[in-house]
Amino acid sequence: MTIGEHLDALHGLPAFTFPGPGAPTDRLPEPDSVAWRLNSGVYGADEAWADTFARFRAAVDTNRVRALIIGAWGDAYDRAPTEIFEALVEARDAFPALRALFVGDLVMEECEISWIHQTDVAPLLNAYPALEEFGVRGGTGLEFTALRHGALRRLVAETGGLPVGVVRGIGASDLPALEHLDLWLGTPDYGGDSEAADLEPILSGARLPRLRQLALRNSEMQDAVAAAVAAAPVVERLEVLDLSMGVLTDEGAVALLSGQPLTHLKKLDLHHNYLSEAVAERIRQTLVAAGVEVDLDRDDADEDTEDDGTVWRYVAVGE
Amino acid sequence: MTASAAVRPAGTASSARTGPRFAVVGNPENRRVSLFTEAVRAAGLPAPRVVAWADVLRARGADFAADEFVRVDSPGENPEVDRLLRDATDPTRVEGSARWYTRFTAALRTLRGGIPLADPDDLAALFDKRACHAVLDSAGVPVPDSPTSGPHGARVHGWDDVRALMREHRMPRLFVKPAHGSSASGVLAVETAGGGRIRATTSVETGPDGALHNSLRVRRYHDERDVARIVDALAPDGLHLERWVPKASQAGRAADLRVVVVAGRATHAVVRTSRGPLTNLHLGGSRGDLDGVRRAVTAAGARWSDVLDVCERAASCFPRTLCVGVDLLPAVDWRRSFVGEVNAFGDLLPRLTGLPGSGAEGLDTYGAQVAAVLRAPAGSGPRHPYRTGTAHA
Repeated sequence: MTIGEHLDALHGLPAFTFPGPGAPTDRLPEPDSVAWRLNSGVYGADEAWADTFARFRAAVDTNRVRALIIGAWGDAYDRAPTEIFEALVEARDAFPALRALFVGDLVMEECEISWIHQTDVAPLLNAYPALEEFGVRGGTGLEFTALRHGALRRLVAETGGLPVGVVRGIGASDLPALEHLDLWLGTPDYGGDSEAADLEPILSGARLPRLRQLALRNSEMQDAVAAAVAAAPVVERLEVLDLSMGVLTDEGAVALLSGQPLTHLKKLDLHHNYLSEAVAERIRQTLVAAGVEVDLDRDDADEDTEDDGTVWRYVAVGE
Repeated sequence: MTASAAVRPAGTASSARTGPRFAVVGNPENRRVSLFTEAVRAAGLPAPRVVAWADVLRARGADFAADEFVRVDSPGENPEVDRLLRDATDPTRVEGSARWYTRFTAALRTLRGGIPLADPDDLAALFDKRACHAVLDSAGVPVPDSPTSGPHGARVHGWDDVRALMREHRMPRLFVKPAHGSSASGVLAVETAGGGRIRATTSVETGPDGALHNSLRVRRYHDERDVARIVDALAPDGLHLERWVPKASQAGRAADLRVVVVAGRATHAVVRTSRGPLTNLHLGGSRGDLDGVRRAVTAAGARWSDVLDVCERAASCFPRTLCVGVDLLPAVDWRRSFVGEVNAFGDLLPRLTGLPGSGAEGLDTYGAQVAAVLRAPAGSGPRHPYRTGTAHA
């Protein structure tokens, strides 16, 4: 599977793509009514990002903009959005109402997720201390220098491979308001070089007092993640636990069931899994009966078995 | 070979008839021919005379009565015809399309008499993607950038040439297409990035002997040597390069449109969606939701009528051909569309009925073509200027 669709909303606001160069901007939505998507360097409208941003700032009262989506920036498979981050940092005073930011809303037809170049996102978060929601897609070159952010409630990193530095940087950050953390760990093939032990600062919950939803998903080591979660202190404060999209087999699921009780969860998401029917049934017996909503949809988790018996299993979103 | 040896129309001398009569040059066992035959009969006319491609090729031509409307249909899916056109003994083999093109376009010119519903010159351009691109481009039809367009475009002799053109034209993502291919045969969607990263998506696979075969499975190649091997093997048949237009998506799948234009009018449309860059239905693509596309286009601030208009403009570049199938690529924001291909035999959409307001409501693509012939002034060919009739709703 790949990323096939752009965000249709951010921060509860419907996404709206700011018109390209030459297109009319006289009938735009109210500045605070949509999540503005800025694209540049797109096919047939080869505008530099700085020019797109300048047109946006001229056409829209940025004082009222609440949500911003950074889409294509041209050659995203070769170039990190450094210039974009710098421009956004510099423009921080012009966006006093900005509460949500997503960087890298590119679909497969534009650039496969693991091909998207990123850079350190910490300067953006530091420049916008009122930001409540931040998301990034693409793991190549992605960094997350440890920080303290008092307002951030939702943090998302969608990757085909999340660098260990990002896992550690998030783990070392103080995020007292964070309610929802969503990390796509990916595979070593695409730079996902963390190990389950690197998740410990997150799983301890020490710096995440308000965490309610935790997703550690799309992982090739989903079994090890599940085993680590089974004994994690943070779990007792969660409402939603999401270990979906990865290579979760019976081994990980049994470890999860053998750990602390999960019956307090509202939802356990395990879709895209490689579980046997027997273990899936055990999960249902244990949790559905206790009122937990469980997603066990196998989805497109298909195994390939080679002649020599080697079995290949895949994460949902890789390359 | 004398004319007397050629396939002759039966009953050339018969005069009593109630309506126009049709002949179809095709492969008699193919469903394209049976679907057209059904459409002619459904219009209350006698069944068309079927002239087999195999006979045309063996007899070096066929004659048609002056009042016969002559439909030319695909010579595909018939091993013997395939052998006659490109010496192919294995229909899955990709190579030989240049030979196919030479023989096919020559064979078109041996169809003598009648009222042709497809013009040999139009078909010669339609079956050369480089020529087709240039014709569309010069008519102002939006097409993806191409360094190989038209007679003055670059000629590609192998992967090294592709690499050079990619650099020269800053084209890191592109489609490499055999100039004379059809149905995604031999097409590669190529993505590159710094550090030598490459990925090619294609249905082509290399046999143990190095021969190229089309398969029904889409493959990904990540090793440049594999890509080079395939492209080098394809290049002698001629290659056309086009910049990759990132396509819009529907329900998470990349989408494009096949729009059939009959006598200048966009009459039928389907959406094809896929998880990968190739949307062909035989490669795992599936039918999408046309109403959804109309809504998406409108929501993006564009007009559906403009989308159809692009297709009609593309078809108008081939005015002596009654029907073409336009592959339209909506760009990611749904605000603009580009013509990816124009297919001479792009009307195989069984049971699909016409668009509302197109004049072909209730008719399939074949019925729409029969109706268009019946509508036209007696004895005239398909000649259709751009923008006939009223604008689409």
